[in-house]
Amino acid sequence: MNEWIIETKGLSKRYKGRYAVSNLNLKIAKGDIYGFLGPNGAGKTTTIRMLLGLIKPSNGSVHIFGKALNKERLSILRRVGSLVEYPSYYGHLSATDNLEAIRRIIEAPKARIAEVLSIVGLSKEARRPVKGFSLGMKQRLGIASALLGNPELLLLDEPTNGLDPSGILEIRELIKQMPKQHGITVLISSHLLSEVELTAGTVGIIRQGELVFQDTIANLHQQAQGSMSLVVSDPEQAHITLRQHGIEAVHRGNTLLLEQTSDHTVARIVRTLVERKHDIYRVEEKRKTLEELFLQIVGEGTQL
Amino acid sequence: MNGFLRIVASERLKLSKSYIWILLLISPLLSLVIGVFLSLESFGAANRLEEYALLASTMSSFHAMLFLPILTGILSAFVCRYEHAGGGWKQLLTLPVSRVSLYLAKFSVIAILLALTQLLFLVAVIAAAASHGITDGLPWRLLLTSIGSGWLACLPLAALQLFVSISWSSFAAPLVINVMLTIPNMLIVNSDKIGPYYPWAQPMLAMLSFSDQDFGAFALPLETLLITVTGSFTLFLVIGLLYFKRKEI
Ligand SMILES: Nc1ncnc2c1ncn2[C@@H]1O[C@H](COP(=O)(O)OP(=O)(O)OP(=O)(O)O)[C@@H](O)[C@H]1O
Ligand SMILES: [Mg+2]
Repeated sequence: MNEWIIETKGLSKRYKGRYAVSNLNLKIAKGDIYGFLGPNGAGKTTTIRMLLGLIKPSNGSVHIFGKALNKERLSILRRVGSLVEYPSYYGHLSATDNLEAIRRIIEAPKARIAEVLSIVGLSKEARRPVKGFSLGMKQRLGIASALLGNPELLLLDEPTNGLDPSGILEIRELIKQMPKQHGITVLISSHLLSEVELTAGTVGIIRQGELVFQDTIANLHQQAQGSMSLVVSDPEQAHITLRQHGIEAVHRGNTLLLEQTSDHTVARIVRTLVERKHDIYRVEEKRKTLEELFLQIVGEGTQL
Repeated sequence: MNGFLRIVASERLKLSKSYIWILLLISPLLSLVIGVFLSLESFGAANRLEEYALLASTMSSFHAMLFLPILTGILSAFVCRYEHAGGGWKQLLTLPVSRVSLYLAKFSVIAILLALTQLLFLVAVIAAAASHGITDGLPWRLLLTSIGSGWLACLPLAALQLFVSISWSSFAAPLVINVMLTIPNMLIVNSDKIGPYYPWAQPMLAMLSFSDQDFGAFALPLETLLITVTGSFTLFLVIGLLYFKRKEI
């Protein structure tokens, strides 16, 4: 029995012969914040709708809390809070009544309504009909609804959509607290790596329906470490020399590109080349930012 | 069952903050006005009971021919309206409730509201009768059976309209179609071939088959009507449920 809170195997959704999501193997650990990233139309919302049983997968399976979604949907949903795409609301009801309409179904304690309203900073607007709310306020209400039932798992589809900078910060802080304070697992989708970079422990990157990266943020940082480029007088000879010393480099023009960038390795490379009478004109580090790496992953489609 | 009751409680909250109750009043009130101003003497009724029968059937035909079928369509569209407008389907179905419970809860709300209208209509008939001085000897059994079977005969139409309203995210379109299909009632009720099978005509046929014994073509054998009502109700409800269970939200 593994500890995955969410595990999908070969999860796929086909629309008229086109795969919106294809062969997705998500693994989300308990207490993790999982950043689910991808550009427009990548399949994030489609995946989340499948995780919630709103649509049926064309292929593959979903297990949440170790239970099969297609068999035990209701007992799973009892422990899940969610916000899908844009927030749902009843315009003619106040924020309090919107939450009350949900509360009557999930049978949460009445006091929880005021609690979640204050968590998302809507206490003052609680009595106003929601149709007069701004997008950001509706979004906050949506987050409040997701929190109402004290869920163990939160599925948030672009939760900061439409929020102002301070709202984004508040929600980010809120999400950060979830695993620490309540042991909640969170899946949060976004277009931007920067948005989840500071909160997420793991990221999954989806592109055209396929999961092209799934690893910890730390490992992503590792990938972003970039490379060293050396400009030398005789690159061909230098390339051979380095290979003899067991160092792999790529030879391009008068430059050598090296993957290893630790201080120790760089020092050894430079020393070796100098000892063999190579002139070294430049030693440069090419550092990719996480965002560049992310854009590369989603843009070019180079599988990592 | 528990899930079903919880959803009904939630639906009650949503509707209590709307103006739906005004709609429930319209037909009983208009029927009352017609009943009060109906000149019973001009028909030359033989006795009070006949006068009452005339009053009740006039009010019923007005209420059941147009308003009841139209109201059924409005209520069906109304219970789906807020979900269509605010993305509520998505939210409701991510809560721990089965789609079947949700569908049946929505249907029950329509049925309950229709029952309320029928009760108000009952009050209207009694009040109109009283205004004509008919207070004693009302044929209660007949009256209540007429009200009750009128309600039952609305249920197939309610099931059909709920199916249409859920599948069609527009509020107005199912209503327009419903009204268009209600208007031919005036002709169809006279046909004992089509009438019993036409969901929009069933409420009127059901109500009138009790209100007056000698109403010519209207007086259909009750069993025939009940069988078609039960049959079409089951058919429409099952179709709607199957559709909703598979619907992609
Ligand atoms: N009901 C549908 N019918 C046909 N195609 C669909 C349907 N729903 C989604 N798609 C397609 O599936 C793909 C994924 O859509 P999805 O909404 O999951 O993307 P997303 O990652 O959430 O994008 P965004 O960042 O814009 O929200 C898109 O190409 C979309 O056109
Ligand atoms: Mg989306």
